[in-house]
Amino acid sequence: MTTIAAANRAPDSVRRRPSTTRWAQRLLFVGLFVYFLLPMVAVVIYSLATRWTAHILPDGYTLDWWSRVFSDPTVVGAFGTTLVLATLTAILDIALVVPAAYWARVRNPRIRPVIELAAAIPFALPYLVIGFALLQFAGVVVPGLQGTFPLLVLGHAAIAFPFLYWAVDGAMAAAGIERLSEAAETCGASPFQIVRRVVLPNITPGIVSGALLAFATSFGEFAMVQTVARGVYTIPIWSAAAIRSYSGEPGSFNRLAAVTTISFVVLFVLSAIVVYWNRGQTVRILAGARAIEQREGT
Amino acid sequence: MKAQQPTAPAADQATGTAAPLGVSAPEATPAGRLRSFGAAWGPAIPLLMLVGACLLGPAIVLVAQTVWGASGFTLDNWTKVLGQAANQDAIVTSLELAVVSASATLIIGSPVAWLVSRMLAGPRAFWLGLLNVAANFGGIGLAFAYLATLGVVGMLTLAIQALGIAFEPPRSSSFIALLFAYEYTNIPLFVLLTIPAMGVVRDDWWEAAQTASATRQQFWRRVGLPILTPFLVGGWILIFTWSIGIYGIAYGLAGQSGGTAVHLITLQIGNSLQSDVLFGPAGAGVLAVVLMAIATVSLLTYRALLRRALRWF
Amino acid sequence: MSGVTLERVTKTFGQVRALDVVSFEIESGELLALLGPSGCGKTTLLRSVAGLEKPTSGRILIAGRDVTFVPTRERPIGMVFQSYALFPNLSVRQNIAFPLEVRKRPAAEVARRVDELLDLVRLVPQADRYPNQISGGQAQRCALGRALAPSPEVLLLDEPLSALDALVRTRLRDEIRRVQQLVKTTAIYVTHDQSEAMAIADRVAVMNHGRVEQIARPLELYEQPTTRFAATFVGSRNALELPVMNGRIQLSGAFDMPAPAGATDRAVAFFRPEDVEVSTDGSGHQATLEVKIFLGATTRLHLVTDVDGRPARFYADLPSRRALAFEPGSPLAVQVDPAHVTAFAAD
Repeated sequence: MTTIAAANRAPDSVRRRPSTTRWAQRLLFVGLFVYFLLPMVAVVIYSLATRWTAHILPDGYTLDWWSRVFSDPTVVGAFGTTLVLATLTAILDIALVVPAAYWARVRNPRIRPVIELAAAIPFALPYLVIGFALLQFAGVVVPGLQGTFPLLVLGHAAIAFPFLYWAVDGAMAAAGIERLSEAAETCGASPFQIVRRVVLPNITPGIVSGALLAFATSFGEFAMVQTVARGVYTIPIWSAAAIRSYSGEPGSFNRLAAVTTISFVVLFVLSAIVVYWNRGQTVRILAGARAIEQREGT
Repeated sequence: MKAQQPTAPAADQATGTAAPLGVSAPEATPAGRLRSFGAAWGPAIPLLMLVGACLLGPAIVLVAQTVWGASGFTLDNWTKVLGQAANQDAIVTSLELAVVSASATLIIGSPVAWLVSRMLAGPRAFWLGLLNVAANFGGIGLAFAYLATLGVVGMLTLAIQALGIAFEPPRSSSFIALLFAYEYTNIPLFVLLTIPAMGVVRDDWWEAAQTASATRQQFWRRVGLPILTPFLVGGWILIFTWSIGIYGIAYGLAGQSGGTAVHLITLQIGNSLQSDVLFGPAGAGVLAVVLMAIATVSLLTYRALLRRALRWF
Repeated sequence: MSGVTLERVTKTFGQVRALDVVSFEIESGELLALLGPSGCGKTTLLRSVAGLEKPTSGRILIAGRDVTFVPTRERPIGMVFQSYALFPNLSVRQNIAFPLEVRKRPAAEVARRVDELLDLVRLVPQADRYPNQISGGQAQRCALGRALAPSPEVLLLDEPLSALDALVRTRLRDEIRRVQQLVKTTAIYVTHDQSEAMAIADRVAVMNHGRVEQIARPLELYEQPTTRFAATFVGSRNALELPVMNGRIQLSGAFDMPAPAGATDRAVAFFRPEDVEVSTDGSGHQATLEVKIFLGATTRLHLVTDVDGRPARFYADLPSRRALAFEPGSPLAVQVDPAHVTAFAAD
């Protein structure tokens, strides 16, 4: 179609709307914005409050809770554990998913339906169920691993891999990785060289955004940690104990507020990076979406 | 997509079909078949092993354990667990909560998904980021955020009371509280899941409808919604499935096994795991399999629905 | 007054002028082709008539009525899109019925009219199929039927054939013309393919950079382009840049004619390959035959000659049997009747 249009400009037929719906739209989005941000604002203020039981805003402000959080070895330890767990999950997923996704595209298309079916499982089965089942299974097959950190890492990797798969597969599709691999072969490159010089550089955004999503999944995961590895102390476990042990005593909830704020900030930063890497394209998450895009040729 | 021969790499293909006399084709021997299988599936095997070991195997064992007692195959566990009022209540409430949450999500999320999918790249990136954060922000953190906002001394509660309105927020372990909290992650999740589907309704259909003198309403009723409905229903199913299995948020808000808290399947499972006195693993197993069954049925329905939806494309 | 009138229509997108003060009239029942390269504004113009774009200034009238501020759905138009834009959840029959149902016409009338249209566009056997079950040509005919269903005052077609195979394209092109003449609807047809435009239009408007360079009947446009752009775009022509000397331009031995108005230094001379006379007997301008391209009934001779110290290339089309006589590499003499040469100032 021939149009002299500035990039990204929608045609008048789509842009032009009666002004009432325009305002309704704006209202909707302002409302949504407030709705999303309100709880977080409440949490942040809570973390800075001295006493806050009577008025809209706290009686006073203090950084006391924050300093207590940073100096509490339990909390710092929990953060460390959580970060290590999430990082290992992401790394393990990258190592497992990238070769599989690549092979599915370039050599054996039959791998794809199997992976996609497997990727649907963590979405359908609650993490609690998977965790419990994993515990039982380990009890039958490798009792030594029951309740251990490595088992938890495997469990997290199993539930987080779909994110990495969709991101990497999408990046491979966008880069036309089959064509690139063939071209590299005709240039005489070995498989290793192809992977190192052609494949990986072209799917880096996919790997990064997928890994961040996997990391985020593991970071906030509670059910499986509680079920599979009782001894492992992560931030969600700490938070759960903090919520449960609310005794009206000042401070218990405020420290939880500080920790929750930190978790939120981590999540926010990760999401910002993911969206930046994808430049506002949507990250496809499920099989249906992929099928639609294939047929529409997007 | 390029059609690939899903078998051996070049070396085997050279000697593949046209076998020299007296030598059988490599694929025919067990070793050859293994080799070509390895070549076709090799790099994917570690991932599939992880899936098998952490997802499939455990699921099978779980089901098996619920029907296997001291003296062989038995349904005792099932009858005992499902016979208890608390568990029955839990199943019903979980289903109710999931249905209500999915429905509310559908109503609110659909227009949002539509509008976001139509935004220009800049604003859209902003909203996608926000939705991403909200969709991933669940579990205990969200439970606490709810308390901080709508708890007994939550910010919003205090604000409303300060306006002079005698407002008593819903108990944090009640159905409605859980519903509100669920919506915080479910709406963004729904929007993120359905945005790709929104692209299915093309701009030039709307333009064509306009040139045929249709109003916006007529277009949606005759063309837009019929095409989108399967995807929206699919989104509903996904949120339903997801909500049934939510644990962290519920634990944070209603984790105490008090009499007044709502009973949910996930909470029952969690409780019985923490206090081995009550049911032990067998009880938790039955409930877990119930969840698994519900989730499986949902997923199969979803796939069938999507297959039907794509028949027009 | 019927038909379509554009009065000083201008459309700007930020800094870019997509339409630059366009004015012309289309008579009732006429098929006007908007012809031009990508970005010339022809699609913007069509969409403005449809109401899908709003002009920055100017007026648009359809059948005497000022529709400049009237929303699309209230304009008496029917539109065929490049991508067909058939509703995938409706069958062919239902797609065609759509504009009528949306206007709440009684069911019996709708059914009758749809049958009429299915017959007109020859889609009766496919009536109950869905868009993903029919071919591209059939889809386009369905789109045509849908556009004509409400008996619009003007039919708008936006490059309707570009998504089709070459063979289907010519057949459907003639089909569109047949239907348009049968129902006598005013039509605006956008295309970048000049042979397509010339084949079916009553008049052709050549556009470039948002302006209409020339509007004329196809033959007139072909024989007498009035602007340099029209000359290059329509009909494949030879173009030679020649120096102006004493108010005249010449290709020595081939032709000699007065320089075009406004040409002081250099001019571009256009002439068609079929108007080049070739001989071996030396009377005319000297050129060398580089290569012969066999095109069936005609053969195209690629000739090179010296103009103003630099090599210049042009073509001569001859009946293939005559072309046999000439060998690549051999020197030839060419002549062109000045009456067949159109020249414009080179600036």
